[in-house]
Amino acid sequence: MFICLENVNFTYNLHMPFETKALKDISLNINEGEFIGLIGHTGCGKTTLIQHFNGLLEPTSGKVYVEGLDINERGVNLRLIRQKVGLVFQYPENQLFEETIFQEVAFGPKKLSLSEDKIEKRVREALKMVDLDYNLYAERSPFSLSGGEMRRVALASILSIRPKMLVLDEPTANLDPQGRNKILSEMKAIHDNFGITVILVSHNMEIIAEIVDRLLVMHRGEIILDGPPREIFEKYADDLIKVGLGLPQVTRCMHELRAKGKEIYTGVLTVEDAEKEILDRVRKSNKQLKIKKG
Amino acid sequence: MKILRNISFGQYIPRESLIHNLDPRIKILSCLAIIISLFLITEFLGYLILGTIIMIGIIISQVHPKFVFRGLRPILFIIIFTLIIHLFMTEGEILYRLGFLKITKEGLIRGLFISCRLFILILTTSLLTLSTSPISLTDGIERLLSFFKFIGMPAHEIAMMMTIALRFIPTLLEETEKIMKAQISRGADFESGNIFNRTKNLIPILIPLFVSAFRRADELAIAMEAKCYRGGEGRTHFRQLKIRMVDILTFVLIGVITVMASVMF
Repeated sequence: MFICLENVNFTYNLHMPFETKALKDISLNINEGEFIGLIGHTGCGKTTLIQHFNGLLEPTSGKVYVEGLDINERGVNLRLIRQKVGLVFQYPENQLFEETIFQEVAFGPKKLSLSEDKIEKRVREALKMVDLDYNLYAERSPFSLSGGEMRRVALASILSIRPKMLVLDEPTANLDPQGRNKILSEMKAIHDNFGITVILVSHNMEIIAEIVDRLLVMHRGEIILDGPPREIFEKYADDLIKVGLGLPQVTRCMHELRAKGKEIYTGVLTVEDAEKEILDRVRKSNKQLKIKKG
Repeated sequence: MKILRNISFGQYIPRESLIHNLDPRIKILSCLAIIISLFLITEFLGYLILGTIIMIGIIISQVHPKFVFRGLRPILFIIIFTLIIHLFMTEGEILYRLGFLKITKEGLIRGLFISCRLFILILTTSLLTLSTSPISLTDGIERLLSFFKFIGMPAHEIAMMMTIALRFIPTLLEETEKIMKAQISRGADFESGNIFNRTKNLIPILIPLFVSAFRRADELAIAMEAKCYRGGEGRTHFRQLKIRMVDILTFVLIGVITVMASVMF
């Protein structure tokens, strides 16, 4: 078990006139190597929740364990935890500040007091992970880049501290479809090739349903659904619609076919899957027709 | 990060109270009267009277005292600092000797006096900002400053600048907190090291903050132009300020008390 939350509650402005309860009794286990999508409406507590993973916020009550260590106990070195759990905030391009991209990505490793060679190696590695050419980009100013590139540099600056887990808050917000797909496929590759645990946080079902292995659905500070996306779309479609999150378009299409009386599997995530499923059904019923006629 | 959350100075707490509903001009002028008399008074008894007025004001305003006193916390350091400076640096009758340092009776009295002055000063201004929305506050300032228009004072522009500055304090604080958290996640450390290192550690916060502040300013300017903003010339107000009987009475009351206190003590 990599991260374990036990009955975590969190309240903003505790004992103040503007007190708001953001997290309600959340218990959660995250294993090493998982690829998770955390989904919920704006203001449901997603960002608050992920800030508990690396000790940026301390729960009002409850415990957070990272690799079995209670991170809010006295004397725990939170910097070590933050090396293990890399948190990428929304619009990470807004946190860039160095003169060159090299320095930007080297910021984290430098704080770990590594040698020059090791820092360079890590920068090369991190830039490669986000598919930016070291020779072309290293000496450029991060402020001269496009939005999507800036975001990838910001991502690289977290990857260069070699976290075991990567948490990304709305990584695709404000990007064009091309930049969005690029980030998502890179995340997938980082998870598959390096075995890094990845959590994608989003309010948009279309974006993450397709690529994650496990879906966590949050609503008003609680985790209401937890499981593989196919299972959730098949069994709990009504709950998703009830909380206003809805289904991906393809999945909705299949549900409507089912509602019209077609016997069809509704837990599909991609257009390709849906195509295959529908063709299979049509062929089967054609066969049955032929048998009847024959 | 806890530091940033605790700033309540300059925050507005909406309530339906006598103090909230006073005309902002009256509130500003009353505060000004209290502050001027704070600097004229030379005896503790005078401060007791002013302090009582402010306390009564806080009670009437229905703002929770916890909120008012939380605003004092950042100022506490300055108050303690002046107290200590006065304690040790004033010549006079020696009360206690500590190595080469000495505490004098005059120093103690002077220090406490100045502390009281700062204390009431902050309470007064806190009560003003806690009970007056930024919009009506700048409305009031604009109207008050327009008396000086004939000597070329750009009253509207000053008021507009103040509105914008006030409006963006919480936004920038929020932004600072966000950037701090992001940099901490990237391995930055704001809590340890000597003063030189700590100052250097601020660069990763300040640069992104400036970048975003400039971007915001740019966006705001475009938005204002898109709404055909063209300064104060010929502009009318949706909310008209009106002086009522209550306002006159309050002003007379505060005026009489502060003048009396200043003259007598």
